[in-house]
Order: sequence, then C-alpha cells, then structure tokens
Amino acid sequence: MPFETAFLATVLPELILLATACAVLVLDLYLNDEQRGWNHNLAILGLAATLGTVGLLSNNGVTIAFSGSFIRDPFGDLLKGIILILTIFTFVYSRDYMRERGLWVGEYHVLVLFATLGMLIMVSAHSFLTLYLGLELLALCLYPLVAFDRDSKPGAEAAMKYFVLGALGSGMLLYGISMLYGATGSFGFADVAEVVNAEGLENKILVFGLVFVLIGVAFKFGAVPFHMWLPDVYQGAPMPVVLFLASAPKIAAFAMATRILIDSLGALQADWGEILMILAILSIGLGNVVAIAQTNIKRMLAYSTISHVGFIFLGLLAGTQEGYAAAMFYTVVYALMAAGAFGVLAMISINGLEVEQLDDLKGLNDRDAWLAAMLALMMFSMAGVPPAVGFFAKLLVLDAVVSVGLTWLAVVAVVFSIIGAFYYLRVIKLLYFDKAADSTPLRLAGDAKIAITVNGLAVLLLGIFPASLLGICNAAFSG
Amino acid sequence: MFLAWIVAIPFLGALLPYGAVRLVPKQACGAAASLAAALVSTSALIIALSHTPDVFAGGEVHASMPWIPRIGLTLALRFDGLAMVFVLLILGIGLLVILYAHFYLAKSDQVARFFAILLLFQGAMLGIVLSDNLLLLLLFWELTSLTSFLLVGFDPRSIEARRGARMALVITGGGGLALLAGFLLLGSVAGSFELSEVLAAGERVHQHPLYLPILLLILLGAFTKSAQFPFHFWLPSAMTAPTPVSAYLHSATMVKAGIFLLARFFPVFAETDIWFYLVGGVGLTTFLFGAYIAIFKHDIKGLLAYSTISHLGLITFLFGLGTPLGAVAGLFHAMNHAVFKASLFMAAGIIDHEAGTRDMRRLSGLWHFMPITGTLAMVAAAAMAGVPLLNGFLSKEMFFAETVHHEWLGHLDWLLPFIATLGGIFAVAYSVRFIHDVFFGGPLQELDRTPHEPPRWMRIPVEILVALCLLVGIFPEQTVRPLLDLGVQSMLGFEPRYDLAIWHGFSFPLLMSLVALVGGLLLYRLRRWLFRAHDWVFPPTSGASVFQRLSTGLQLLARARMPHPTQASLQNSIAWLLLTTLVLAIWPLLPALWSLDVAGLSDWLMGLELSPLDVPSLGAGLILVVAAAGVVGLRRQRLQATILAGVIGLVLSLAFVHFSAPDLALTQLTVEVVTTILLLLVLYFLPQSDVARLSRWRRTRDLVLAVVAGTGVAALALVIMTTQTPSIAEYFLHAAKPAAGASNVVNAILVDFRGFDTLGEITVLAIAAAGIFAMLRGIRLHTPQRDLFGRPWSPDVHPTILAMLSRPLLPMALLVAVFMLLRGHHEPGGGFIAGLIAGIALVLQQLASGQQWSAERLRLNYTRLIGAGLLMALGTASAALLWQRPFLTSAFWHSESTWLGELELTSAMVFDTGVFLVVLGTVMLILDNLGRLSGHRQHGRRAGHQVAAHPAPVPAASAPALGSAPWKS
Repeated sequence: MPFETAFLATVLPELILLATACAVLVLDLYLNDEQRGWNHNLAILGLAATLGTVGLLSNNGVTIAFSGSFIRDPFGDLLKGIILILTIFTFVYSRDYMRERGLWVGEYHVLVLFATLGMLIMVSAHSFLTLYLGLELLALCLYPLVAFDRDSKPGAEAAMKYFVLGALGSGMLLYGISMLYGATGSFGFADVAEVVNAEGLENKILVFGLVFVLIGVAFKFGAVPFHMWLPDVYQGAPMPVVLFLASAPKIAAFAMATRILIDSLGALQADWGEILMILAILSIGLGNVVAIAQTNIKRMLAYSTISHVGFIFLGLLAGTQEGYAAAMFYTVVYALMAAGAFGVLAMISINGLEVEQLDDLKGLNDRDAWLAAMLALMMFSMAGVPPAVGFFAKLLVLDAVVSVGLTWLAVVAVVFSIIGAFYYLRVIKLLYFDKAADSTPLRLAGDAKIAITVNGLAVLLLGIFPASLLGICNAAFSG
Repeated sequence: MFLAWIVAIPFLGALLPYGAVRLVPKQACGAAASLAAALVSTSALIIALSHTPDVFAGGEVHASMPWIPRIGLTLALRFDGLAMVFVLLILGIGLLVILYAHFYLAKSDQVARFFAILLLFQGAMLGIVLSDNLLLLLLFWELTSLTSFLLVGFDPRSIEARRGARMALVITGGGGLALLAGFLLLGSVAGSFELSEVLAAGERVHQHPLYLPILLLILLGAFTKSAQFPFHFWLPSAMTAPTPVSAYLHSATMVKAGIFLLARFFPVFAETDIWFYLVGGVGLTTFLFGAYIAIFKHDIKGLLAYSTISHLGLITFLFGLGTPLGAVAGLFHAMNHAVFKASLFMAAGIIDHEAGTRDMRRLSGLWHFMPITGTLAMVAAAAMAGVPLLNGFLSKEMFFAETVHHEWLGHLDWLLPFIATLGGIFAVAYSVRFIHDVFFGGPLQELDRTPHEPPRWMRIPVEILVALCLLVGIFPEQTVRPLLDLGVQSMLGFEPRYDLAIWHGFSFPLLMSLVALVGGLLLYRLRRWLFRAHDWVFPPTSGASVFQRLSTGLQLLARARMPHPTQASLQNSIAWLLLTTLVLAIWPLLPALWSLDVAGLSDWLMGLELSPLDVPSLGAGLILVVAAAGVVGLRRQRLQATILAGVIGLVLSLAFVHFSAPDLALTQLTVEVVTTILLLLVLYFLPQSDVARLSRWRRTRDLVLAVVAGTGVAALALVIMTTQTPSIAEYFLHAAKPAAGASNVVNAILVDFRGFDTLGEITVLAIAAAGIFAMLRGIRLHTPQRDLFGRPWSPDVHPTILAMLSRPLLPMALLVAVFMLLRGHHEPGGGFIAGLIAGIALVLQQLASGQQWSAERLRLNYTRLIGAGLLMALGTASAALLWQRPFLTSAFWHSESTWLGELELTSAMVFDTGVFLVVLGTVMLILDNLGRLSGHRQHGRRAGHQVAAHPAPVPAASAPALGSAPWKS
C-alpha cells in the first residue's frame, strides 16, 4: 500500500482527536480527585480543535486517501461537525451529573472521545473495512459506557444485552460484507459500486450480502425488529451516556447507511428500499404505540427514537435525491432534539434525584422555567408541531415519499405520528400543569445553561429558517 | 412586503404585553398589558385598512418572498375580498375582545401571558386567511391549534380546562395533519403549492383519480376545526376556556377557519355530487344535531357551544349545496354568526362574572338587576333565532330559500325544507330558553353575590356588536353589501345576482321563518315534557366520553403489546433477530424457490468439483457430527459438553493436517488446549445450580431456528466455496522466499507480509491480559465445598501420579517450544505456536502440583515478560527506520559457518521471539490470575489435610486452586 504523508493531512481531525484521547488517558493518571476538571477541559479543547480542523479542511471537493479507504467530502464534513458539537454538548450537560455520582473520571472522557473517533472514521469510510473499524471502535466504547455505573444492576444487565446483541448485529454486518467481497472481489465502496452497477441482481450472492449488511445497518439504527437492545440500554445506562448514545451515533449510523446503501449499493435501491419500507412501517407503528404505555421517561424516549428511525428510513427508501436529503435533515434534527431532551433530563438529575419516571418531571416549570421551556420545545419538535424544526423534518420526508408515489405510506406515517403526538404532549402537561413534589428552584451551572439554550435555539431557528441546513443536505447528495 | 406586517405585527407584538407589565407599577399591570395588546391589534388593523382601497378598486394585493423553494414553500400572502372579510372580523372582534378581557381578567395575575398568547393566536389566524401558499396556510393552521391549546388551558389549576385543551389540540391538530396530507396531494396534482395556481387548476383536480382522497383529507381538516359532527365534541369541552377566549375563538375565528377553507377551495372542489353529499350531509346533520342538543344544556356556555356547532353546520351545509347563491348565503351567515355569537358569549361572561354561576337552573330573574345587559342579550339572541330586522334573519332567510330551490333529491325534495324548519324551531327554542331562563322565569334565587350591571366599558364591546346586528339587519344594502360583494367576487370569481332585501313579499321561506318562530315558542312551552323524553331516549353519552374511552383504550393496547413492562428477555430478543434475518434472507429467494427446478439443482450439485471423499475424512466428519450433537444433548452437563467441544476442536485440527496446513493444525491444537483449560476454570466458578429447563415450545422454536439457520449457512458456504474466484495464494507462494527469505509461507505472512497486523494483534493480546489482570486483582470468589448433589469434592487435589509424570515433561515441552520458534521461518512453527506450547507446559505444572509450588520455582513476572516481548517486536520493526527503510522492513543474512553449518538469520526471527514472549506471558497471566480467584483460607485447610495424607514436598499453605478442577469424587 503506497503511503503518502499528504494522507495524514486528510485525517488530521481524526489524529487530533486520537491525540486528545491519549492525552486525557495519560493526564488522568496524574490528577487527584479535585483536579478532574482538567480531563473535562482538555477533552472539550481537543474536540473544539478537531471541529476547527474539520472546518479548515472543508471545501467543496472530495479527497480520497489511503488507497481509497478514506474519503473527505462536504457530506462527511457536515456530519462530523455535528457529531463533534453534540459530543461537546454531552460533556457540558453531563458534568454535574457525573461528578455528583463519582463517575466523573478520566475513563468516561476517554471512552467518549474514542467513541467519537470511531464515529468520525465511520463517517469518512470509503471501504467496508474502514467502516467496520470505525463501527467497532464506537461500539466497543459504548458497551462499557452503558455499564459505567458499575454498581447499577440495570446498567450491567443492559450492557450485557447490548454487547451480546451488538456482537450479533456486527456479525451479521461482517457476514454480509464478506459476501459482498466474495461477489465483487473488493472492499472499496467505489469498486463494489462498479460491479453492482454492472451485475445488479443477477448475482444472488450480492443480494444475500445486501440483506445481511442491511440487517447490520438496521441494528445499529435500532429499527424494529432489531430494536430490542434500545429500550433496555436507554433505561439502564446513566443519563449522560443515553444522551450521548441517542444523539451522535445516530448520525454516524446515517453516514454508514448512506455510504453503504447509496454510495456502494445504489443500483440495488429497489431491493433495499423494499426491506427498508417494512422496517420503517414496523418502527413507526411499534415505536409510537408502545411509547404511550411507558411510565419511564427514558424508555418512552427510546421508543420515540425507534419511531424517528422509521421516519429516517422513509426518506432513504424514497430513493431520490430529495429523499436522501430529507433523511439527512431528519437525522441531524433528530440528533439535536435528542441531545436537548436528554440534556435537560441530565441537568435536572442532580441533588440526589435520578429522573427515571415521567412523574419526576412534574412541575418542572415551577423549578426552572427556562429548562422546562427548552424541554417543551424539544417535545413539540419531536411531535412535529410547527414552527419547531421537527415539523419540517417530517414534512420533507413525507414530501419525498409522496413524490415517488407512495402516498399510502405517508398516510400511515401521519396516522401513527398523530398517535405519537399524544405521549409528547403528556410530557408538556406534566411540565406545566402538574405540581412538583419538591419545588425548590434548581441551581444549574452556567455553561450547561448556555449549551441548552444554544441547542434549543438551534431547534427553533432551524424551524424558522430550515433552508440553510436543507441547502447543505441537498448539496451533499447532488454530486 | 408591507402586507406581511399585518401578520407579523401580532407575532412580534406578542412580546409587548410582557414588556409593558415590567415598565409600570404593579397595580397598573393589567391596564398596561391590555393597552399594549390593543395597540398591537390596532396597528395591524390600520395596515389592513390601508390596503382596502386597492381591494375595493377591484384588485388583489400580493406579497411574496421565497422561504424554502425546494419544497415549494414561499412566504406568499394575498389580500383579496375574501381575505379582507375575515381580516376585518378577526381584527375588529379581536379589539373588542381585548377590551372586554381587560375587565374580565382584571384580577388575574397573568394578564401579560394571556394577551401574549391571544396575540399569537391572532397572528396565526390572520396568517391562515392571508396565505397564498398551501403549506404556509397549513403552518398557520397548526399554530392556531397550538395557541388555542394554550388559551383553552389558560387556567392550569382546573382539570377540566386541561382536559378540554388537550382534546381540542388532539382533534384539531390531528385534523391539521390530515389537511397536510391533503395539501401535499393537492399540490402534486395541481403542480404547485401556490394558491392562485391551485385555484386555477379546478378542472384538473376534478378529473384526477386522487380527487376523492384529496377531498376527504382536506374536509377532515376543515370539519375537525369547525367542529362538525362527529368531531364536534371538542368544542363544548373547550368551553372551560376563559370567556373572552370563547367569544373570540369559538365564535369568530378558530372555528371559522374550517369555514374559510371551504370558501377558499369552493371553486376547486364544489359542483360534484360527492361534495354535495359529504359537505351538505355533514353540515345538515350537524345543524340539526347541534340545535337539538343545545336545548338541553344547562350551562349557558354549553348552550352557546352547541348553538355554535349548529350554526357552523348550517354554514357548512350552505357551502355543501355547491351553488353560487348557497356560497353567498354561507359567507353572509358566517359574518353574521361571528357578530351575534361573540356578543352572546360576552353577555354570558358578564352573567357569570356578576352572578357567579352559568347554570341556568340556578339563574332566574336577572332582568331586574341588569336590564341593559338583558336587553343586549335579548337582541343578540333574537338575531340568533332569526327574528326579522336583525342580521341573523337575513342569512337564515337565504338558507331557507336555498333549501326550497334545491332539486337534488328528486321526490324527497320536501325533506330539506322540513329539516331546515325543524332546525329553525330548535334554534328559536334554545334562544328563548337562554333569555327566559336567565333573565325572567321567576324571582332571583339564592346566589353567592348580588348581581348588578358590569362596568360601563365592559359592556361597550357587547353594545357595539349588538348595534352591528341591528344595523346590518335593517340596512343590509348600505352596510354589509359592499363588503359581501367583494368577498363573493373573490370567492367565486364572479358575482351572482342576489338580493339582501328584508321584505321579499309573502314567500315560502318567510312562511318557514314564521313556522320556526311559532314552533320554537311552542316547543319551549312544552319543555318539561321534552326534557323528560330526551333523558329517556338518549342515554347520557357524548363524543367526549367516546374520545376518552378511545384514548384509554389506546393506552391499554400499548400496554398489552408489552406484557412485561420491565426488561425483555435476551434469548427472546436473539430469537426474534434470527427469525427476522432468516425471513429477510429467504425473501429474495422466494421467486426462485417457487419455480424450483429440482433436476437442474441436482445436476448442478452433481457437476460440482468437490474434493474426493476418503475414509479418514468421512470418519472425522462423523466424529464432528456426533460431538456437535453431543454438545447440544449434554448441554446440561457442562463438563461433558466442554470436553465434547474440545473434541470438535481437535478433529478440526486434524482436518487442517489433512489439507496440508500444519501451521494451522498446530495453532488449533494448542489453542484448543488452552481454551479448554480456561473454560473449565470458568465453569468451576459459575454457580452450580442446574440449568433452567426450557419449555417445550421454546426448545422447539430454538431447534427450528437453529436448523433453518444452519442449513442456510451451509448452503451459502457451498455456493460461495464452489464459485471460482482468483486466489491471492499464488502471490505469497512466489514472493515468500525472494522477498522474506522464508520457506514457510504462513509464517512469512505472519511476521513479514502482514507484520503490522501481527504487531497490532500482540498489542491487543497484551492489552487484554492487562485488562484481565486489573479486573481480577483482589477479587476472591467463593469456592463450593460440595457439588450439586451434596457430595464433597475430592480431597486429593493433586494426584501424585500426575505430578510425577508432569515434571519430566516440562523441559521437553520447553525444548519443543524453542525448536518450534527457531524453525518457524522455514518449517511449520513460529512464535505464536511456540508461546502456546510453552504456556501449556507451564500450566500443566500448576495443574499437577499446585500454584504455590510452581510459583516458588518459576519466578517469572508475566507483565514484564509481555512488555519485553512487545518492545522486542516493536524494536525490530523500528530498527528498519535506522537504515532509512520503511517501518517493519525485514532483513536477512545468509551465512555459512564452520561450527553451525548453514545458518540463515532474519530480523523476522527477533520479531517472532517478541511474539513468543507476548503469547506466553498472556496465557500465563490469564490462567494464573483466574486460578488465584478461589479463596485462600478454605483451600488452606484442605491443603493441610492433604499434606497429612501425602508427604509430598507441597508447602502447607498452598492455594491449589488450579488443581481443584471440578472432578467428581
């Protein structure tokens, strides 16, 4: 494999992040408990530097490095930027929560940073091997993160299930990749695409490979019926981990789906579109209906995630440029909303309170009106109520589906999202109309408040001016 | 963009009440907030009025700005006659409501919040009527649902208010989503979301096959918003709102949004049979039903709510007729209804305010205390009943006339006038009931307070509205005609001939009016009978309770889907996952399976070039099958199952030998031994409890899944392995000797071609060892003294024979290891295998003679061993850099020495030694640490006992955990 030093410039963001993670790992050894803040600061500094490098390196062109296994393009730059921002949000939101529980140790930062590195690699993968590398780096960091509170039994159980099912999902993906390799003789997305374009469905092994790869993708997204890990993991993991897990990895999963399904298997769109349709209907239906029955807010949001994944799939299965852009828009928006919602939950889980049940949200408005307003905004956005951005996300996806003649699918999606609106509104009712058991005002850190405000404003402003983000999403798929 | 300010001002101005409240002292808060709100509404009204001359001159004012061009969403507004009618209603009545609310809410501490939401609502409502783009209209539509939710639930302390607000939001918001679907379809049919183009595409929409779904979806939106049967029930529930809200939302604005939609899309959809049956039918039903129910409501606002439903039904019916004159009458009645119903709601609010109740069974004789309010209410109620010389009469007369002139139903033509008259009778009855029960009907009953006239200014809005009723009723041509003309013109595109005169001569419609008046009065006289009959015929049920039951039912359904609200079983999850995978994998094959060509398939199987079958491979295959079946069958006897799994591994290594892969065979063999020891150790510490018996169904399910999955994988393997693909083996076979100086290709790949991989792998091994070391440090596990059946474990932990036999084995095994390491580059062997062999030899000593015993004799620090190995490999790899060669470039020297004979030295050998050290260290570290897990003390006692029995040189305090593998006595 010819190696050029210029390649290193292409992976500079990843290198900086790697260096940061290693630096935190070493630095943590020399810190005592009062100085743990340095981990936090260093991690955020490293993330910011990575973000800046991503911005500096971005241009409209495409750079391919390492013999076609790594790609840098505007699509990836945008997703990487959002992943990095969400990770910064994660650290800022989670500080008080983790510190109070004695979990604010270097390992937490290191694991999150390595997981982020895995996501960046996934986003920039241009061959199945690179993709798998990033995916496993992410997954292997997430397993211990779920069980990060070692004394929590639900956490251990959730991590165990996540690990077993995740290994199975990765296995399926790998099995599919091996079949694609067998059928095409290459791991590179471009080469695979070439063979697929030429042979199409004639090659049955290719179809099998597609199915297994698709299962792997669906598993990482958490689409029904590969969703079983999601509610347990959301419920068992510490809130900041759920916050992280629910936001950034969804973007990485979307990048993975795009790279695999569109970039390399685009010619088989008719086949994977069909499977995605089944998964999307199941996800939207089951997610929305089962969410209603939940009394645990984390589980409720888990099922809500499942239904949102269904919507993302709707955009993908449309198979048009508009559909892909709509799905990308939806993913980004969903990640922002999830980060905001779980961010608020993590921020109010202080002073010994662990927000688990929906009832724990009662009367939040009396305790901190701003946080309540932010959470309400996220709920409205998730329910798809204008002018929050969630509405546009749904609208774009439905528009894409209708424009390829799948009107009935749009109607089904709309019916279920009407049902889904119910449980989001229940949260609003709890926030504003119910009395809190303990109505002492919350005292929150300033930076977390700034972060949640930025997050909330993003959801609101993107709702009022969606054209900017939509333009970028469109540009990413117009090439 | 001047036009846009009409919509923008209320939105921006919503902040003003908040600001105003901050600026003034506390006691002036209310006044400041309402003044600010009034100011905002007035400015919007002024801008609207400034545009009216253009419209009166016959033009339309347009303003447009792109917003999201990709989906056809533009910020397009149009100000035409129809929009003007509604804008004037919204802003005019809005101003009066603000004035009224100022007095109504005087004592509330949240005045600013109220006015802010009210202004937001006003802006959204203006947006609906001014939008020139379907999607924009929809946005504002949903905003009205949202803000009305906040307004209805304004009093958060009342459970009814919250329930009513939620119901209103779910019904109208849900209808909005249906409308969204309808608009998306309509836009795709019409080719644009711009209203002007959609209105022009009426013909195309009529003919399109999607006409019916589009119509149904859009009507669903309109009917839910305008409270048409069977979606009417949210409106009475929403009466929990503060009265100014009801006066505004539930008379003039929100519920009229649906009517506006019907008027706006009248040219696109009307004139088809289906439109008539759907819209006309629903409208007529609602008209009759609402009027009937209204009679029996005891709450004044409940009565007004049902009367509103009835009037909305009437308007809907008029549009449903699909005739130009019907549409004119519909628009006219919509205006009139807004005026008289707003004043009635305000009057009801005054009564509530002054008397402290709205229950008509508790109210009576208020006339003496509030004659002016009484008069006003009386006039407004008369307008509602359709008494001549009032505005309600005019439009109702037009309604009656339309029913008479209609010829859709053939010989059932009499039915329409009949129903209309019946509804008219009900309307008169409930109007009379309202006035008579509240203001007359006997002396005043016991009330919490003595009622009196409201503040002067609180009555002003009612007075203005009632004056309007009179003015329009008496001088229709002079007052309302120009406005109505404009509205009709822009709604229909032309101006039908119609007459607004009060007196048409004696005609059938007039007769119907008279019948309705007399009949209504008569009905009211008979009210006692009527009430009893109603209670008997209609059991107390309502749409609201049905809704409640539905929403509870949905929750129950959701719970039923998840019998176990807590955590789901992992086994079930995996079964589901496998099942779906199988279904998805078999799915693409179904067509092929359907038309399965058996002969072709067997031909293909016969034609495959498979390796010839011989006796040894057949035997090995049989052993494999038996052993695998044994593992499944004996899974409850863990020890036996583990040993059988070991058998599978050994047979596999034989298979490698058979296919000339001695390296793989050696690796497999050694790895198998280490894994078996590791498994036994783990089993030793697992709880001894019996494996839970699975139900018959679970076992069957798992069996079927396993068999199908296994068959699938086997078939896939067969297909893939018989497909000819270019092999990479040739390259390595040719390049091994010249490039790497090695005759053993496998080893050359490991340490040279793929040296980087190996370097990574041993690093991972080292990390894993360090991780296990860190995790197990300091942990002591309980060691059971007895087995599952209560039998004690054998006290003889270190059988002498084994100990004696194993000792001479050690030097031999180590020699073999070194031999394997050295010859690795040319013959089967290598660092990996050598490390495993040495590891096994050392572990055997621990097994045979105890950990303590071996530890005293073998003072090896495993972590240092691993570190040294890693450094050695890394050093070799980096050494290449010193000679300006890429990382990991290998070098070899060939020398002939007199003493040693031919000797070939390669740098890869050093690398391989590093691998050897790391593997050895890792194996030992893991097994050693796992072995130490058992508690020292318990074993100490048993060890002591053993010392007494066998005077072997075993220290008394040994902890022979490794040796005490669970052999049963």
